[in-house]
Amino acid sequence: MPVPTRIRRATVITVLLVGLALAMLVAVGFGAVSVGAPDIVRAIVRAITGEARVAGDAVIVDIRLPRVLLAALVGASLASAGVLYQALFRNPLADPYILGMSAGAGLGAVIALTLTASATALRFGVVPAGAFVGAVLTIVLVVRLASLRGTLDVTSLLLAGVAISYALSALTSFVMVFFRESMASVVFWMMGGLTGASWPYVLMVTPMLAVGLAVPLLATRELNLMLLGEERAGELGVDAERFKRLLLAVGALLVAAAVSVSGLIGFVGLMTPHMVRLVIGPDHRVLLPASAIGGAIVMVLADLAARTVLAPVEIPVGIVTALVGGPFFIWLLVRRNGHR
Amino acid sequence: MSARLAYETATVGYPGVTVVREATLGVAPGEVVGLIGPNGAGKSTLLRAVTGAARVSAGRITLAGEPLAAIGPRERARIVGVVPQAVSAAFSFSAREFVLMGRHPHLGRLQQVDSADISLAEEVMERTDTLRLAAEPVDTLSGGDLQRLALAQALAQEPSVLLLDEATSHLDLNHRLQVLDLVRELADAGLAVLAVFHDLDLAARFSDRLGVVAAGLLGPIGPAPEVLTVPLLARVFGVRAVVGTDAVTGAVVVTPVLREEAVTETRRGRVLVVGGSGTAAPLLRRLHLAGYEVQAAALNRGDVDQAVAEALGLERVDVPAFGEVDAEAEAAVERMAAGADAIVVCEVPFGRANLGNLRALARAAVRTVLIGRFGPEREFSGGEATALVDGLQAAGAVTVVEAGEAVAEVERLTSADSPPSGR
Repeated sequence: MPVPTRIRRATVITVLLVGLALAMLVAVGFGAVSVGAPDIVRAIVRAITGEARVAGDAVIVDIRLPRVLLAALVGASLASAGVLYQALFRNPLADPYILGMSAGAGLGAVIALTLTASATALRFGVVPAGAFVGAVLTIVLVVRLASLRGTLDVTSLLLAGVAISYALSALTSFVMVFFRESMASVVFWMMGGLTGASWPYVLMVTPMLAVGLAVPLLATRELNLMLLGEERAGELGVDAERFKRLLLAVGALLVAAAVSVSGLIGFVGLMTPHMVRLVIGPDHRVLLPASAIGGAIVMVLADLAARTVLAPVEIPVGIVTALVGGPFFIWLLVRRNGHR
Repeated sequence: MSARLAYETATVGYPGVTVVREATLGVAPGEVVGLIGPNGAGKSTLLRAVTGAARVSAGRITLAGEPLAAIGPRERARIVGVVPQAVSAAFSFSAREFVLMGRHPHLGRLQQVDSADISLAEEVMERTDTLRLAAEPVDTLSGGDLQRLALAQALAQEPSVLLLDEATSHLDLNHRLQVLDLVRELADAGLAVLAVFHDLDLAARFSDRLGVVAAGLLGPIGPAPEVLTVPLLARVFGVRAVVGTDAVTGAVVVTPVLREEAVTETRRGRVLVVGGSGTAAPLLRRLHLAGYEVQAAALNRGDVDQAVAEALGLERVDVPAFGEVDAEAEAAVERMAAGADAIVVCEVPFGRANLGNLRALARAAVRTVLIGRFGPEREFSGGEATALVDGLQAAGAVTVVEAGEAVAEVERLTSADSPPSGR
């Protein structure tokens, strides 16, 4: 008799949570000024209890902590979105970006950025809204295009996603050329980075991730059934057409959350669920929460590398994930071909 | 008994395409209804319409009297189980997990499978001979194992209607019978089964009724012996077939003789064949394929040669099973012989019962081919047959060794420019 799912799930998630806590402690501690774990804990306790701050608390509480938390939230959002799309496409190589949603969210965010170029205060509220609107409009357009011939099948969805993605990237470049004055900040943002991290961003992304994770966590059995194919899932009692749309909407929310605060960060949504699946198998009851935590760990560590490797110069974190993720993707392709 | 699954003048298809028009069929508890028909006729579409994968554009489908449109997917999945043609297993769930997925419609949003679900899953795996695979990842299993697991998964739904779409196509002989015996057993326990079959013999053997799906229509529907007739097989499948009864199971057995399109367009002469007990069947088929207008001399009903002649739709003279070629039959054969361009006498023994065929030939005096020497081993008429054969030979009959030579001889005799055989 294999280990019951409940126990396995509890073990895997506990181990990952401990790992995430450690990664976050390390990430908060490292930087221009290194801080030990006890000092970090004390600073956080002081902040929570409202006790008077001591020297150095500001760096930990106002700068590093929100940044590390934001990295974790972004990583969790991207990895969760990856899990959802991989279930939807029944393809472990699927990624949120393939659908064109990231490009859509990017365009929405870039338009918001250029429109609010002179009003920094406005940016915080408008950029995520722009990203979400962009992601939703993109997915509506992609789904419409894909279902022109009746039902929504996965092949046409992929084709439509790729086509729209190209068009939206071109539009993004077009907008950037038109508004040259804000180009530098947009380019940096497009490469993916958490430089601007602050508590308001954390507070904004948290509910988006919470909803984006809670909905599919209530439907892990349906996610498993979708892996058998839409028709079979339907035969086993899933309203596949509706469930697909729900997944796409939830995915849009997750992508918008990530893109609006950190720009375009690739490969986390692809890499993390894949690695987790290799270890624990395809069951979404474990895969989804484990990938979310795994994505958080990957992102926290990637951001740590981004700001410490070439310090004081900071590399956009999207470059770090691409540097690791590119070879990983190639390895995946080679491995798959080797199996055939 | 009222139907548990009913098609009520249901027109089914896909957006913009109608596949089957106005199908009417009821499947009662305890009943296995088989659907047969050519590829692409819409058998699977009829099944898929029940689970919403195909559309019902007119009429309706009901489950236990309730229209399908009023039943949600979860509720429907508690009523209807499906075993699909092909099962995909791209991800490495264990076979046990795979079967447990069939419990989905019975589980609440936050409910987990419990020991009752697991023991039910193991019971259906036992019955489908898949329990020994329980811990195997499904993406490493064979098509046959997957098909039986899909049946186990469907049974884990505890359905009262089971739809089988070629559910035994990937199974070996043993498992095919095992699965169909299980389905029969489940039906006897009250399950309503609608199954698509490719194999007509299996369909006839395991179904209480058969429904034919062809040319966008469902029908006729009825017991196998009433549905599987020579003209229907020719019309629906374009195949000339012998319809017999399996000696062991008593089920209807269909033996295809030839495809309609295989018959050559060339029209050739008229050939009368004298046979019996299977001596003429291959020759009848060959001559028919080659485009001759073949006629069969008197044959007993139930004789293999008679069944083949019937399947081919040949002009023939039938006499009752074990009956004699009487004066009337003899006269009919004589008329055929007089109009024939060639006659072939197969290597059949002659006795009192079939001597009439030879007597009819003797009077007609048409060019004749005899297959095999006529020796004492074929003489059961006290010398009369030997005398008649001698007479044929004296009149110029040619003797050949086997059917192939006979065909060549017939070709020579019937071609217009050949000199009459005068030896």
